[in-house]
Amino acid sequence: MVQKEYHARVRDASDVEALVEQAIAGSRTAFEQLVGLFQGEIFRMVYYRTRSTMDAEDLTQDIFVQAFKNLYTLKATERFRSWLFKIAVNRVRDFIRKKRFRALFSTLDDDNVAEPYEEIRDRPEALDKLMVQDFWKQVGSFLDKLSRMEKEVFILRFMDHLSIKEISQSLGKSESTVKTHLYRSIQKFRGEHSIRQLLQEGIA
Amino acid sequence: MSADKDLHLDEDQLLKALVEEAELPLPLRQHLSTCPHCRASKQIFEQDLARLGQMAERASPSPRRQVSLPVGEPRHSTGWLWGWRTGLGAAVAAALVVILMWGVPILRDTPMGNGDMLAREMQETEQFMTEIDLLVENALPPVYSDISVESDTGLDEEFIQFMLPPIEEESISYDSGKRGALLC
Repeated sequence: MVQKEYHARVRDASDVEALVEQAIAGSRTAFEQLVGLFQGEIFRMVYYRTRSTMDAEDLTQDIFVQAFKNLYTLKATERFRSWLFKIAVNRVRDFIRKKRFRALFSTLDDDNVAEPYEEIRDRPEALDKLMVQDFWKQVGSFLDKLSRMEKEVFILRFMDHLSIKEISQSLGKSESTVKTHLYRSIQKFRGEHSIRQLLQEGIA
Repeated sequence: MSADKDLHLDEDQLLKALVEEAELPLPLRQHLSTCPHCRASKQIFEQDLARLGQMAERASPSPRRQVSLPVGEPRHSTGWLWGWRTGLGAAVAAALVVILMWGVPILRDTPMGNGDMLAREMQETEQFMTEIDLLVENALPPVYSDISVESDTGLDEEFIQFMLPPIEEESISYDSGKRGALLC
């Protein structure tokens, strides 16, 4: 099922480019179609980093509005996806920075609101509740061991499914820098036996 | 093909292959493409990473809210117009900088500026020369002009002669004050 959805999400690049060109020319309908194509992907991208449905929805909204307003600055239509992710990466980074700043002055109750696993409790159809909780706990534990860049590159590559070129464009780093961080993050992933075991059991 | 065990990729090489297989040295790439053991080792990593992405997607909620875009059309790409406006803006900004940096010297050195200054200096010189001419004609300050002979009193020559008749030699002797002098 997931595999089918994944393949269904793989869009024809030329169709996307055509829509981007129409949107740049001023077509609102074309942009709405682009939103329909990328909303889920961007929502998940934000969710992986915030673990909050509400924040992910708000930020997804902001990201597409920002893209709508600045679409005319996009020169290479084939780079729309990485351009969109670049907006998203910057927006999420800004959000997390502000959230950390606010956390300095927040109470203990406020911190509990950000508990990442609560929002999955009402979604038994996604995966077994306990498995989901354990999954995010282990993923979070692993990601905490990575540096900021290693974490960003790893998530973009293996959870957001961006190519190395797209990651390079999204982060504004050279491909060789991306590969270096990716190599280090995979090296650390190799030693994570518990999460690898969970992944193998989860699919079985 | 039987792969030589000594040529098997080590873990670091396998990780490099995961990042970018094309960057492996050619012999290693050739070995990887033919060695079932190495391919299997690489696939284990690849599958784990692929499962991670799949599970993350399944363990995420779906967006419940649709994105609402601002009213209106996306801002048009102006193409050449954008470039033209940017160029014009840059030119204006550069001109402003040049004027601010060199404006004062330019104004000072312009012919119009020189002409104004020359006219003002000539006017001052002319005024100064007028004052000198007046002093040559009458060097006395105005306060002494009333008692000055040269001052214009409004009295004509006839009135002056009436008041101060010219001295006649026969009527007034040199020593007219002495007794008996007229009779001599």
